[in-house]
Amino acid sequence: MSAPFLSIARIAKSYAGTKAVDEVSLDIAEGEFVTFLGPSGSGKSTTLYIIAGFVEPSAGEVLLGGRSLLAVPPHQRGIGMVFQRYTLFPHLSVAENIAFPLRVRRRPRAEIADKVDEMLRLVRLEGMRGRRPGQLSGGQQQRVALARALAYDPRILLMDEPLSALDKKLREEIQGEIRRVHVETGVTVLYVTHDQEEALRLSDRIALFNHGRIEQVGDGRDLYERPASAFVAGFIGNSNFLPVRVVAAAGRHAVVSCPDGFELRGVRVAARPAGAEPTLMLRPERLWLAPGGAGEGIAGTVVDAAFLGDCIAYRVRTGWAQDLAVRTPLAALGGAPAGVGQEVRVCCEGRHAFLFAAL
Amino acid sequence: MPAPGAIAVREAQGTGLAGARPARGARGRGEGFAPAVPALALLLCCFALPVLALLLRSLLDPRPGLENYAALLATGTYYRVLANTFLVAGTVTAVTVLLGLPLAWFLAVAPAFWARLVFGIVVLSMWTNLLARTYAWMVLLQSTGVINRALIALGLVSAPLPLIDNLTGVTIGMVYIMLPFMVLSLRMPLAALDRETFRAAALCGASRWQAFWRVFLPLLMPGLASGALMIFVMALGYYITPSLLGGTSNMMLAELIAQLVQSLLQWGVAGAAAFVLLAITLSLYAVQVRLFGVRGAAGG
Repeated sequence: MSAPFLSIARIAKSYAGTKAVDEVSLDIAEGEFVTFLGPSGSGKSTTLYIIAGFVEPSAGEVLLGGRSLLAVPPHQRGIGMVFQRYTLFPHLSVAENIAFPLRVRRRPRAEIADKVDEMLRLVRLEGMRGRRPGQLSGGQQQRVALARALAYDPRILLMDEPLSALDKKLREEIQGEIRRVHVETGVTVLYVTHDQEEALRLSDRIALFNHGRIEQVGDGRDLYERPASAFVAGFIGNSNFLPVRVVAAAGRHAVVSCPDGFELRGVRVAARPAGAEPTLMLRPERLWLAPGGAGEGIAGTVVDAAFLGDCIAYRVRTGWAQDLAVRTPLAALGGAPAGVGQEVRVCCEGRHAFLFAAL
Repeated sequence: MPAPGAIAVREAQGTGLAGARPARGARGRGEGFAPAVPALALLLCCFALPVLALLLRSLLDPRPGLENYAALLATGTYYRVLANTFLVAGTVTAVTVLLGLPLAWFLAVAPAFWARLVFGIVVLSMWTNLLARTYAWMVLLQSTGVINRALIALGLVSAPLPLIDNLTGVTIGMVYIMLPFMVLSLRMPLAALDRETFRAAALCGASRWQAFWRVFLPLLMPGLASGALMIFVMALGYYITPSLLGGTSNMMLAELIAQLVQSLLQWGVAGAAAFVLLAITLSLYAVQVRLFGVRGAAGG
C-alpha cells in the first residue's frame, strides 16, 4: 500500500498532567470522510486542533502527503475549517467572507469572482451574496463558513461540531448538504461530533474516542454490530448490559449463563474485554418477546410499553430486577402487543449478543 | 484630598459617557421622560442658558452685530491658536490610540490577575485629581526634574531635554489623562471579539499582519473611532493641562478665551471664540453620531 494521505502518528497532548490525547494514531485516505466521535473531553476536538495547528502536541507526528504538518504555521497549512461557533467576519458580506481566503492569497480579481460564484452555487446561497452574517440564520452562516473553508481548495476540511448550535430539523438538512458537498468536491473531511446519529449518517469511517484514546475505528456497521469494547457498544446505539457467568468458551464464541440461569449459546466475544466482570450486551431491536411460561429466554414482566410510531418500546423487569429495553417493530408484531403486567420471555439469538469478558 | 478628586472624575466620566450615549437615544424612545427631569433642569440652568447668554453676548456686546466674530477672525493670533488647538488635540488623540489599543488588548488577553491589576492602575489614575496629576508632571518634566536628572545621571543625554512648556509636555500630560477613556471605550468591543474568528482567519491563510488589518482593526473600528473622537473633542476644550505644561507659544483655544475674559475683559470676543469652539465640537460630535448610526445599522 502507498503512503496514506493523512497520517496521525502517536500524537499526545497533556494539560497539567491530564492526558487529553493519549497516543492517537490514524491513517486517512484521500477523499475519505472520517468522523471523530466521542463524549466531551474525549480528546476528539484536541486532535482536530492539533491538525489545524492551534494546539501543539507534546509528542507524535502528523504527516500530510508524507510531509510533516507540525512545523507549518496554521495560515500556511492549506487546511479548511468550519468551527462550532459562528466565525464569519461580521464586517464583511457573504461574498466578501468567501473571497477572504483568496484575497489574502492575492489571487487575481477575476479568479476570485469566479470562485465566489462557484462556492455560492455549491452551498446554494446565490441570493445571499450581499448579506451580512448578522442577517443570516445559523444554518446559513455555517453554509457560508463551509463555502469559505472550501474556496481555496484545501487539502483537508476540518469540521468541529459545526451543527451543534442548530435545531434538529435544520441539522439534518445541513447534514444532507455536507454529504452532497463532500461528494461533489471529493475533499477529505475530518468531522468532530458527539452525536452518534450524525456520525453514522455522514461518515465513511468513524473513530470513536474515549479518554484521549481511539477505542475503535470502522464504518458504522462495524461499530454497531462488532463493538470492540463495552464503551463502544454503549456509545453507539442503545444497549442492555447483563451481568453474566461464562459457562464455556471456544475461540470467539462462548456460552453464557444469565443471572436467572438461562443459558445463551453462540454468543460472540468482543475483541477487547471490558474489565473483570463478564458483561453481555443485547441490542433492544435484536430482542423479541414470547409468551411467559416454560421455554427459551429470560423470564420477566412488562413494566412499560410505549408506542413510538414505527415500533413499540418495552421495558421488561427480569427476575433479578433489571429492566431490559426491547424494541419490536410494528411489522414484526404478530397480534396484539404485550400489555403492562404481562409475563413474558425475552428471547435473543446468540449471534446477536456480545460478550465482553477477559477469557 | 480624595473627595474633591472623586467628584471631579465623576464629572469627567459623565461627559465621556454622554459622548457615547445619544446614538442609541436618538433612535427614539419617547416614554419615561419624568425620571430625567431633575438632570435636564440642571443642564438647562447651568449649561443651556449660560451658552445662550454667551451667544447673545457675542452678538450684542458691545453693539449688536457680528463685529466680535469679525474681530476674532481678523486676528492672526486666533488662527494660530485654532491651528495649535487642532494640532494638540490631533497629536494627543493619535498618541492615545497608539498607546491605548495595545493596552486595551493586553487587558483583554492577559491572565485575570494581571488584567485586574493593570486595569486598577488605569482607573486609579483617572480617580486622581486632575490638577494634582498635572502638577506632578510639571515636577517630573521640568529641566531640573526627575526625568531629566535621571537621563543625565545615566549619561543618556548631556543637556536637559525640553519636555515642558512645549507640545511634548502638553502631549505627555494630556495623553496620560485621556488614556483611560480610550481603554474604557475599547473594553466592550474587545471583549466581544471571538478568538475563533481569528483562528478562522489564520486557517483561511491570513498572516498575523493580515488578520490584524483585515479582521481585528475593522471589527474594533466602531469602538476605536468613537473613543478617538471623544478624546479629540475633549482635548479641543482642555484648559488646565495645556496652560500648565504648554508654553506661551502654543496656546490653546480655551486658554485664549480665559485670557480674553480675565486679562483683556473682551467678553464679546471671548463669547465668539467660545461659540466657535462649541460649534466645532458639535459638528465633530455630529460626525461621531453619524458614524455610529451607520455602523450600528450595519454591524448590529
